[in-house]
Amino acid sequence: MLAAACRPETLPDLGRLLQVTMQFMGLSLFSLGGGNTLLAEYHHLAVDQYCWLTARQFADLYALAEAAPGPSSMIVGLLGLGAAWREGTGWALLSALAAELAILLPSTLLMVVACLSWKRLEASPLRHAFERAMGPITLGILFSVGLKILHSADTDAAGVTVSLMVCVLMLRTRISPLWFMAAAGVLGGLGLINR
Amino acid sequence: MTEPLAADSDHLAPSPGLAALFVGMLQVALSAFGGGLSAWSQRIVVENRRWMTNEQFLTGLTVARLFPGPNQINMAVYIGAEFHGLIGALVALAGMLLVPFSLLMALGVLYFELHELPAVDRLLAGVVAAAAGMALSMGFRILDQYWKDAAALALAITVFLALSLFHARLVPVVLISGPLAMIWYWPRSSASPRR
Repeated sequence: MLAAACRPETLPDLGRLLQVTMQFMGLSLFSLGGGNTLLAEYHHLAVDQYCWLTARQFADLYALAEAAPGPSSMIVGLLGLGAAWREGTGWALLSALAAELAILLPSTLLMVVACLSWKRLEASPLRHAFERAMGPITLGILFSVGLKILHSADTDAAGVTVSLMVCVLMLRTRISPLWFMAAAGVLGGLGLINR
Repeated sequence: MTEPLAADSDHLAPSPGLAALFVGMLQVALSAFGGGLSAWSQRIVVENRRWMTNEQFLTGLTVARLFPGPNQINMAVYIGAEFHGLIGALVALAGMLLVPFSLLMALGVLYFELHELPAVDRLLAGVVAAAAGMALSMGFRILDQYWKDAAALALAITVFLALSLFHARLVPVVLISGPLAMIWYWPRSSASPRR
């Protein structure tokens, strides 16, 4: 999708790599509500701006990060991997590590400060207002992110039906999402879901 | 409630060293293969190793959810920072991410090597459909708590439209809507504590 219109930004040397990872660092403090709020921004950087990945590949990597054990926010590492994949595996792994560190460092530093000063922050009106204000904003962002991922997945009607069913099942049951991904993977393997 | 809590703090183990912190977080990450990271960290940190009281742990969850960054990762930062400040936070983070991140990178390398194979692509088409459903459910999951707050819904819808319809970037949207929403939600009644 749109791949022809867009030339991949290469990361030939350490300087350029660091320059690009800075952008992840800038996003770090905007990861409200647990990190998934940044997915559409990652999509913008990796697919639209730098052309490292196609929208489809982005959706693949999102699924991979959700399926693998551990925090799904590690998708940033996968994006770093994809960004430098053309330059060789070793370089790609370094880029993956740089991207992951960049996205985690600022929020980690802020979190340490927050832990040390929590006693004072806890009762402050600033905290109260911040907590109440960020909730609805997070809500709006998450709906936008959900739509973006659905759009990137770009599956046929059968696929969209599966997406909607999984969405309802996620909300109504406590079944592990791994089962949904496994079952849908089988459907895909059988050729029942296409894109 | 006070009695078990008091008993809890009496039975706390001595503060863990950096190595113990690393191993503990590694154990949390390994136990949580398949999900339930925060339940596992509570079990290991509070019940098995007795590093902190349940109350301390729950405070950590509050801080982790409030501040930017992935919740589970922020929780590791909280636990580490509680005992050894910034160094502790980084060590706890490394312990929690070492194995899952390495595994995800291995998966990522496999993905970039193999994703063009038709069989793999078919399988992924299904998995991606399920993952898109998971992404879609994120917004609905927190929708309930804002259902009766018209201002919150209006704010969420505005943010959603700005991002999805007008393709605004996340950072300016948060920088504009955040302060406005904070003014709206600033505690107004004279009874509420100022500072």
